[in-house]
Amino acid sequence: MAAGVATGTLRSATLASRIRGRPGLVAGGITALLGVLLVAGVGLGSVAIAPGDTIAVVAHRLFGLDTTAAVSPATETIIWELRLPRVLTAMVIGAGLAVSGATVQGLLRNPLADPFVLGTASGAALGAAIAILLPVTLAIVAFGLLQALAFTGALLAALVVFRLGGSGGPGGLTRLLLTGYAVASVLTACLTLAMYVSGSDLRQIFSFLLGGLAGASWSRLLAAAPLILGACVAMVWRARSLDGMLLGDQAARHLGIDIRRERGILLALASLATAAGVAISGLIGFVGLVVPHVVRQLVGPSARRVLPISALAGAALLAAADLVARLAGDIPVGVVMALVGAPFFLVVLRHTRTGYEL
Amino acid sequence: MSPARPRRALPSVLGLTLALLLAACSTSGGTTSSPPDPTGSIAPAITGTPSAAPSIGSSPAAAFPVTLTDDEGTAVELEAKPTTIVSLTPATTEILFAIGAGDRVVATDDASDFPAEAVDLPDVATFSSVDVERIVDLGADLVVAGGLGFSPPGSIAQLRELGIPVVVVYAPSVEGVYHDIELLGTATGETTAATELAESMRTEIDAIEAATHPGDTAPKVFYEIGYTDATGQIFAPADASFVAEMVTLAGGDVITTGDPASYEIPLETLIATDPQVIVLGVNPFYEPTPEAVKARPGWDAMTAVKDDAIRTVQDTEITRPGPRLATGLRNLAAAVRPDVTLPTAP
Amino acid sequence: MTIDPTRTPDAEAILAADGVTIAYGERSIVADATLHVAGGERLALVGPNGAGKSTLLRALTGLLEPRAGTVRLCGDSISTLGPRAVARSIAVVPELAQLPFAMLVDEVVALGRLPHEPPLSGLRASDHAAVDAAIERVGIAHLRGRDTRELSMGERQLVFLAVAVAQAAPILVLDEPTAHLDIRHQVEVMELLVDLNERDGTTIVAVLHDLALAAHFFPRVVVMADGRIVGDGPAAVTLEPARIRSVFGVDPALVRLPVSAG
Repeated sequence: MAAGVATGTLRSATLASRIRGRPGLVAGGITALLGVLLVAGVGLGSVAIAPGDTIAVVAHRLFGLDTTAAVSPATETIIWELRLPRVLTAMVIGAGLAVSGATVQGLLRNPLADPFVLGTASGAALGAAIAILLPVTLAIVAFGLLQALAFTGALLAALVVFRLGGSGGPGGLTRLLLTGYAVASVLTACLTLAMYVSGSDLRQIFSFLLGGLAGASWSRLLAAAPLILGACVAMVWRARSLDGMLLGDQAARHLGIDIRRERGILLALASLATAAGVAISGLIGFVGLVVPHVVRQLVGPSARRVLPISALAGAALLAAADLVARLAGDIPVGVVMALVGAPFFLVVLRHTRTGYEL
Repeated sequence: MSPARPRRALPSVLGLTLALLLAACSTSGGTTSSPPDPTGSIAPAITGTPSAAPSIGSSPAAAFPVTLTDDEGTAVELEAKPTTIVSLTPATTEILFAIGAGDRVVATDDASDFPAEAVDLPDVATFSSVDVERIVDLGADLVVAGGLGFSPPGSIAQLRELGIPVVVVYAPSVEGVYHDIELLGTATGETTAATELAESMRTEIDAIEAATHPGDTAPKVFYEIGYTDATGQIFAPADASFVAEMVTLAGGDVITTGDPASYEIPLETLIATDPQVIVLGVNPFYEPTPEAVKARPGWDAMTAVKDDAIRTVQDTEITRPGPRLATGLRNLAAAVRPDVTLPTAP
Repeated sequence: MTIDPTRTPDAEAILAADGVTIAYGERSIVADATLHVAGGERLALVGPNGAGKSTLLRALTGLLEPRAGTVRLCGDSISTLGPRAVARSIAVVPELAQLPFAMLVDEVVALGRLPHEPPLSGLRASDHAAVDAAIERVGIAHLRGRDTRELSMGERQLVFLAVAVAQAAPILVLDEPTAHLDIRHQVEVMELLVDLNERDGTTIVAVLHDLALAAHFFPRVVVMADGRIVGDGPAAVTLEPARIRSVFGVDPALVRLPVSAG
């Protein structure tokens, strides 16, 4: 819809204007990339497996074809029980974090926001630390105490921030952000204390903080995916409200958006998707911050485009990062993301002019 | 040696029960009768094997299938004698080789450095991660992991979810080591060798303990686990820890940190406690010298420094809960009580 | 309050405030304001700083709940209507706001179609047409494809005006729409408002700080001071020199009113 020449927004101006008008192209391209990453993620790993075997296993499990006569049970287990759920989990969580990030950025009208800005990260980390330190084992629907407390911690933190921060209403979005920062600081202090007294459990707490998808399994995926993907769909459905908020609270109201209600609902959905993701994978940064930015450069700021395409891009990014992490000796995915994401983000920033501000 | 292993009642109870059973039945000749069963919860021994390994639910005619309880209290079912074993801790690697199951071990963790055959085996675990894919690819039918977070609990759960039996062990005390040896003997079907090993270790250790406790006062011993030059942090045995027990068995009055969860001791406390002997635990990561210790500021106030009673011992054999424990205790006793004549090594 | 005898209260007011009082704690910003706007009217709201003009406007558009009195939109109390229903009837030119992300002018103007768009599908052909028309009408076609954040304040003001024009609601409300514009653009905006009002029948309610513009382009000028409406009628009456002196505190000669006002 951007006719004419796009000057001043991107260095590669003509390319940007051509793509900006075609979100379908972008979506298609990323979906193709997802396909490639799925294949690569399942086919590559610390154990070398012939591509033919990979295909045979997938064909057998998906379509019931009798192709696995020559494939060892170990190979089949690796592909179907270990790698495939892990790649899919990475995609689901990546999508959830990216959409939540885009939503929070729109809600707070702040391009520096990420899904953890309202305390979800610190709440999840503290919940996980408590679970690790408690001498109790518990399992609810394929989730251990760790996942349950991380999830609960994230949601509780978000709730506290939302309540204390004035819901972003008349007090302003700044107040909400600052409250998020303050609450996160308190929670992080508690977390640090927990780490200090943790003794031999420190390593477990630390690996949660660094983020990783090693524990992915079908049962966990099937339990978490509906939650995350459902929240994503709900956010995309309400993307219109985010568009309304682009010009400010008053303008949103005048454009027909019920600010208070939408803000509460969208924050709840973003917190839900983030909490469910963090409970499984620990703290993985960057996806929620960087992906919406890049997508916005490609398709414009309209949330109705940014959210769904961010979901695809986030899925691709986390799947790729996890593949790299696995091939590099199973280092934490959060480390890969930071090492790759940060420089990439700097490059993106250099190519973007931020323009005047009031 | 992992820090902070709180005592757990279960292994001690099992170990105690085991000790009673071992005492009650003979270990040299074969017996086909059931040993006395004080607790009533342990099934009759297997016909044809002379030991009384705890085997709940085993059929009387074969060692397998067997269901055993690991040190975390998890029931682990082994359907057949494992032929492809993966060991995820250095101590369990040593035990497996010592009881004769070494030819069936196909992979270890990267810290397993003894015996020499174990070093050549592929590594499937590091300090922080376990390569589940490779373990599956190797077709492991038994994985031995370290408890208390030594092996990542998530990986243990994942392996179990994939149907691979994982036996988790940890030994907070010397008694626990005997128990773990027997446990691994049951798991691998090397019950005879395991019992013999545990017995000989127990005999030797008991003898050393007896030799170093003739009733006179034990010297105050500071066992230095580590020291950071930059910060001056001193690492000593925690209360009721494995190392503390070893020092006590060696005839020393062990100086501990006063806290079962902390391995750090302030310098003032150490000076106030005034050790008579300082033992330096040397390993590939930490190699202090007596001269360096004497040069540390403030340390010359200690009796041990004044008397030049600073001795080095190989730390690995003392802190690793494995088959070389008796050797380690012997070396430790020689350092703590050089005045005592230790019984000859078997 | 001076009431022009030639104006009779219109029972068919599409936007009506009756006895509206807006207060924060002890401080009252607007006291007992009654203002009826008929369909197709064009009125300017003027007054010194702090007179309560913007506050009254916020109450009229449903943003603020008055402590006393009612605001009715086409006879319905505005507080009972949902934001979307109000947005279809009243378009308010957004305040100059800081945009968090880079947005092309076209994308900003397209936001005006939000009240009309179906939730997911986005802009239809009719929406695109409305956006194009708004851009043409406001005269910012030369700014198409530019990043709004890089425009001057005046240019941005025009873009935001276009948003409200694109909204195509029967009532258009503006709060100081010419604050950053040069004289030529100020006049152009005024002429646009006249055009929207006379050609499309849009009801216009505008808060202006420029008395000359108000007098020249608006047949009805409402004067506020200290939270109260002190004048309501043609400019010749409500902005006569004595009023200017008493309400605004300046020499009326400083304010150049048209020779024949109204």
